Amino acid sequence: MSTSNKKDIYGSIQRYIQGQLSEEEIEALWVEFAKDPTLLDRLEIEVGVKKIIQEGMAPSHSKGAKLLFLNNWGWHAAAAVAILLVAVVQVFRVDTPTQLSEFIITGIPLDQVETTDGIRSKKEMVVLEADSLMNLGFAALVNDNKEQALSLFNQVIASYDEEPYASKAYLNRGIIHFNDGVFESAVEDFIEAAERASDNRMISEKAYWYLANTYVNTGQLEKALEAVSEAYKRDGVFRKPALLLYQKLSYDLGNVDYEQAPASLGEKE
Amino acid sequence: MDYPKFVTAVLENDRKQLNEFSEVLTRVLIKFLLVRLDANPADAQDCAQNTLMLVIDKIRANKLNNPDSIIYYLFTTAKNDYLKLVAKHRESHFEEVPDTHIAPADQLENILDKERQSILKKCMELLKPKQLKYISYWFEHPDNDASVVAAHFKISVNNAWTKKHRILQVLKDCVQKKLQQ
Repeated sequence: MSTSNKKDIYGSIQRYIQGQLSEEEIEALWVEFAKDPTLLDRLEIEVGVKKIIQEGMAPSHSKGAKLLFLNNWGWHAAAAVAILLVAVVQVFRVDTPTQLSEFIITGIPLDQVETTDGIRSKKEMVVLEADSLMNLGFAALVNDNKEQALSLFNQVIASYDEEPYASKAYLNRGIIHFNDGVFESAVEDFIEAAERASDNRMISEKAYWYLANTYVNTGQLEKALEAVSEAYKRDGVFRKPALLLYQKLSYDLGNVDYEQAPASLGEKE
Repeated sequence: MDYPKFVTAVLENDRKQLNEFSEVLTRVLIKFLLVRLDANPADAQDCAQNTLMLVIDKIRANKLNNPDSIIYYLFTTAKNDYLKLVAKHRESHFEEVPDTHIAPADQLENILDKERQSILKKCMELLKPKQLKYISYWFEHPDNDASVVAAHFKISVNNAWTKKHRILQVLKDCVQKKLQQ
């Protein structure tokens, strides 16, 4: 295969990932994959890199810390200082009460609103309409037009009672209600989103985490505890705040020892 | 993929060559079914193997020998075989079988493998900061074409493509190396 031809194919792969190829172009690209199956590795790497970046890769770039070794007297001195510090802290320790409000969110940022991923072919109109409605809803929200956004998400719910659209539309509607302080409606939407997205860890985690926050706002702390434990079990981006809220709720409700929370969740910390 | 050699291997019943070709073609067909028809991996595997058997029979019967026809036949047969399987599943769940099939949109993420993906992530962390910044820009701005990326990094369009290609190649090699370890 010539270099320019390969370059064209790489260009097509990129446009395929962006959802910019027509059905005929996709078919032609698959013929190229059949002729040169190594191109499928390229497709896989591109899709994989895109996914990792979209999921918010936070590269550490740590090159490994340089290890410095202490000699014997150094270790003894360090141990003595540590013991002294522990003793001082124990003597002067004062319990600092925390407020539940410190563990919950006050609003849900717009970047949490779900859109569709755009990895789709152009000609599938049935799916594309749902995609478009979701994305128009997001655009309306960005333009501060909540009414229009709600109407578009309602349309998705009414016309596309299928995954992944319905769960995302319910989630987005819940986010709008949460930010408007309409917590009863937000509860209903987040429950619906969580149940429908039972096979989608990311969406269900989000739904349970926001559901827990909504329940705290409505004063239903037992239900908040249940929801936050579900969010924690999904082991995603909200794992840490979910654990903290779980511990706080457990403590306030007198259910379990603050320190034992991870074990009671059935998960390893 | 050398289709004339594949035809020869079938006609001469060269088991060794045939196994090698079959492995490559099965892999292509599985990915085709996963991505284009959103098939589950087990169904994709079954349909890919059925398709390959049918293609080999056709070649043996001298009804297929042109590379383009083979490719066309492979994809068409795999698709039909999968749709038949879906219809069969439906029959066992519903009284009425819908006579139309709405093709799902392509699900490109179905092509990803969990293990390879976690290795890829590790490999991305090994990229130089400049490389990571560059490749992140490409994928964070999916609607941009190469000229926009080139303008952003003040390089030529050709260079922009080459740079992207090199970084993806580094990642591909890194994944390959780690998989072999």
